[in-house]
Amino acid sequence: MTSLGQVIFAAENYRRFVSEQVLKARTDAEFGEKVLQRWREEKAKIGVTITPTGLPLPRLALPDVDEPGEIARFLCAEGLPGEFPFLTAAYPEQYLEPAATASKGNGNRQNEDTRVSEEPTRLFAGFGLAEDTNARFHYLSRNQRSKRLSTAFDGPTLYGVGAGADGVFGKIGEGGVAIDTVEDMERLYAGFELDQPDVSVSMTISGPAPILMAMYLAAAKRRFGPDVGPKLRGTVQADVLKEVQAQNELIFPIEPSLRFLADMVDYCSGEMSRWYPISISGYHIAEAGATPVQQAAYTLSNGFAYVDYFRNRGMEVNVFGPRLSFFLDCGLDVEYLALARVCRKIWAIGMRDVFAGDKRAQILKLHTQTSGRSLIAADWRNNLTRTALELMLACMNATNSCHSNSADEPFTTPSAEYARYAAHAQAILLEESGLFKHMMNTLPGSPGMKVIGNAVEEAILEEFREIEQQGGVIGAIERRYQRSQIQASGHKLERQIYDGVRPVIGLNRYKDPAEDWPEVSMSRTPKEKKQLQQERLHAFEKRHAKESERCLDRLSNVVESGGNVFEELTLTVEHCSLGQITERLCEIVGKFRPMV
Amino acid sequence: MHPIRILTAVPICDGHDSAINTINLEFIHHGIEVIYLGYHRSAKDIVRAAIQEDVVAIGLSTYNGGHIEFFDELVDRLEKHRLAPPIKLFGGGGGTITHEDAEIMYARGVDRIFFAGTPLEEMVKYLKAAYCDVIQSPYDFAFVGSDQFLARQITLAESRNGCVPEASETVPTSNNPDRTAKVIGLTGPGGVGKTTLIDELVLRFLRSHPEDQRVAILSHDPSIGSGALLGDRATMIYSQNDRVFMRSVATRGMMGGLSVSTSQSLKILIESNLFEIIFLETVGTGQEAIPFGNEESLVDKAVLVMPPDYGGRLQLQKIAMFDVADVIVVNKSDLRGARTALAEIESRIRTNRKGQGLLRTQANRHRDAGVDELFELLLG
Repeated sequence: MTSLGQVIFAAENYRRFVSEQVLKARTDAEFGEKVLQRWREEKAKIGVTITPTGLPLPRLALPDVDEPGEIARFLCAEGLPGEFPFLTAAYPEQYLEPAATASKGNGNRQNEDTRVSEEPTRLFAGFGLAEDTNARFHYLSRNQRSKRLSTAFDGPTLYGVGAGADGVFGKIGEGGVAIDTVEDMERLYAGFELDQPDVSVSMTISGPAPILMAMYLAAAKRRFGPDVGPKLRGTVQADVLKEVQAQNELIFPIEPSLRFLADMVDYCSGEMSRWYPISISGYHIAEAGATPVQQAAYTLSNGFAYVDYFRNRGMEVNVFGPRLSFFLDCGLDVEYLALARVCRKIWAIGMRDVFAGDKRAQILKLHTQTSGRSLIAADWRNNLTRTALELMLACMNATNSCHSNSADEPFTTPSAEYARYAAHAQAILLEESGLFKHMMNTLPGSPGMKVIGNAVEEAILEEFREIEQQGGVIGAIERRYQRSQIQASGHKLERQIYDGVRPVIGLNRYKDPAEDWPEVSMSRTPKEKKQLQQERLHAFEKRHAKESERCLDRLSNVVESGGNVFEELTLTVEHCSLGQITERLCEIVGKFRPMV
Repeated sequence: MHPIRILTAVPICDGHDSAINTINLEFIHHGIEVIYLGYHRSAKDIVRAAIQEDVVAIGLSTYNGGHIEFFDELVDRLEKHRLAPPIKLFGGGGGTITHEDAEIMYARGVDRIFFAGTPLEEMVKYLKAAYCDVIQSPYDFAFVGSDQFLARQITLAESRNGCVPEASETVPTSNNPDRTAKVIGLTGPGGVGKTTLIDELVLRFLRSHPEDQRVAILSHDPSIGSGALLGDRATMIYSQNDRVFMRSVATRGMMGGLSVSTSQSLKILIESNLFEIIFLETVGTGQEAIPFGNEESLVDKAVLVMPPDYGGRLQLQKIAMFDVADVIVVNKSDLRGARTALAEIESRIRTNRKGQGLLRTQANRHRDAGVDELFELLLG
């Protein structure tokens, strides 16, 4: 049995445990009284919010039950916000406005974690050269209490290819920002106080993640001094398994990729205690066509595979466990009503009962992005509605941070105008509307949500069983299991759209015959900028020609001798470009063989 | 009528293969032979492959931007080869390619861009109408020695269903008759890693042999109906190299692991005198297959590649290749059961008393010692 098999076992056990607790609360009078006592205490702790219209409301809505069995079922199977198994929410008081001065009861809960006061808005941006994206970051975050930046990189950067490489010129700065050196990285976040607690930076990159992360750390040290590491907040995606399964942006073979990742996680857990060195991602799996259940099952099982790998390297689960984060897609299928909630629960059970993780290691910290695949070119302003709905679902699932897509994304890197609408959609939902800001748990708990949650949970476990039968996550990957399942689902989805079985408004239903092609301003990187990036890279490499070879040799030695590659990379990037480093590492560990 | 042969790929620094996977399947089910080169492929690799495969058109699926420049580079590179007829270009990129972009691309010589929302049927219809009656005549002898000349010879052999060519189509004899290619055949069940093994052997060849020495690969995949998805190139890394000539062959109804034109194509490759080594890869074969023949073998060395999990000792008795292969390789030897497999296979071949080689490899591992050993045994 692999560790995934143990997770299946633990999840099944936990279901039995819940049933037993319910039965016990009903049949054992003493225990039943304890449950009722706990319920009374919890209710007493809840503060009060006064809405702008003058209506007093509790800051947490609890199910309207007074029978010990049902109370036990809620507490065990769902849990209070911030309590095992975290189905309701990872933290107490997510999204809530700070308590009014007149709140009664014990107000400790809201201050337990500073993260709760942060707005979840985190918009993904990246285009052109570092200074272009930097300007966009300043624009997007100008009204935010906390600066939560999220970086998209261009194709060459994602593949660890230098801007000067053969045949990549057209790709420079398209679909993301071009980063080749530590100097580009400095320009990218210029003007942001990276050492302050209200700034956090996310980087969507996996194949060469340790190299880019090393550049970020080196750039931050240049500006804020050598001791800045523990102050830096943010996330780097670094999810190599989902690259193999869906996104195809892997550079090194799986084994060395995992090793470089573990080196980085190990280093960050120790030296950068506020950084998330991996974001275990289902987004790209779902975007490649997976069903919601496949997305959840492959993402969670990948997560457990990482934990297993790190643990087998001798890393301590309670040190790295709290530094793992997750990233899920949210589309319009009905499963999304409860998908992320169930993911939190399964993760918590696995981390607690299989890997002996403590509370901080049990919490699945989630970033959600609305579905890019659900956006279409035909009658494209409908995309505003699609994204708003998905955003609503994401918040009902208590995501910890969120990116809402721009309506113009089927055509182009988001324009400033539609990126603003996307950001405002979140503000309208969370700040303007009263749905989320007054009370926790306002919308969950409907019979339908529970039914869907249970069905999704069982379906995820069934996927786990299939993966387990193939020798666990890595075994299944080698048999192309996840890839072929995702591709088959994607093919089916496209078929359903073409056949009209899946209504897509404006495309296969209610098509507007008048509309031909929308007038959207395309954002493209001009030729001069692409040339400038090449010139900058060339100048950097020339300036460091003396040191670069020596640095690369040192790096080679660390790779060959089994040392911590990430730690060495933080030095290598001072004198070497991304392309130079990738090339050297490929010479030693080989290249990833594409799966099709 | 022979199937339309096209090549599809996703450009460099782009991994969006969801659309192309769907489109490839649609094409092959409508009788088109698709050579799929995979994602993150440079214009140079795409053009080399298109010429060697002698396709009539290249289809690109691009989502990461830079498509105007990328198509431009393809056009430039293709033009340099004076191909007859020219290889056509088509593509798509959802909403990322605008109508204005398409106009620019058409002016540069791109044949057709499919916009967002184009039904799959429409693409198939277009391909069938535009590319079905392309005439591929032999190249002038001035092209002798070039990949396109060789590729066209093979195309003609395929279209004759392997019959002996007309005198006018034969290749002039080489002025270097001493140089003879060694033909190495690889066979075994589907998914065992034959393509990966060949790619790793090619890597070792490229590193150990002089720059002017080349290698050829003749790789077979099954036809599905009259179409075929020829995907071996997509998983190759080191064979995307000017020193490698690779040709993907659809079986077009022939059973047993090869195509009816294989021996003719092989003859063309050998007589070209361009190659030191020719790898001949069969489709994934069954127990009864002896694809390279028995007494008069097509190959100089026959390699049988086996997985560690073949279903038990008794199954081994039924596999005919064990009596014919020169070398047996147990690949994926990191998987459970590899030791048992080696022991059982050894006792299976011992009775043959032929001194057959038996090796274990893990081709998906960089610098695998087993592959080194196989390389030495075959080519050292």
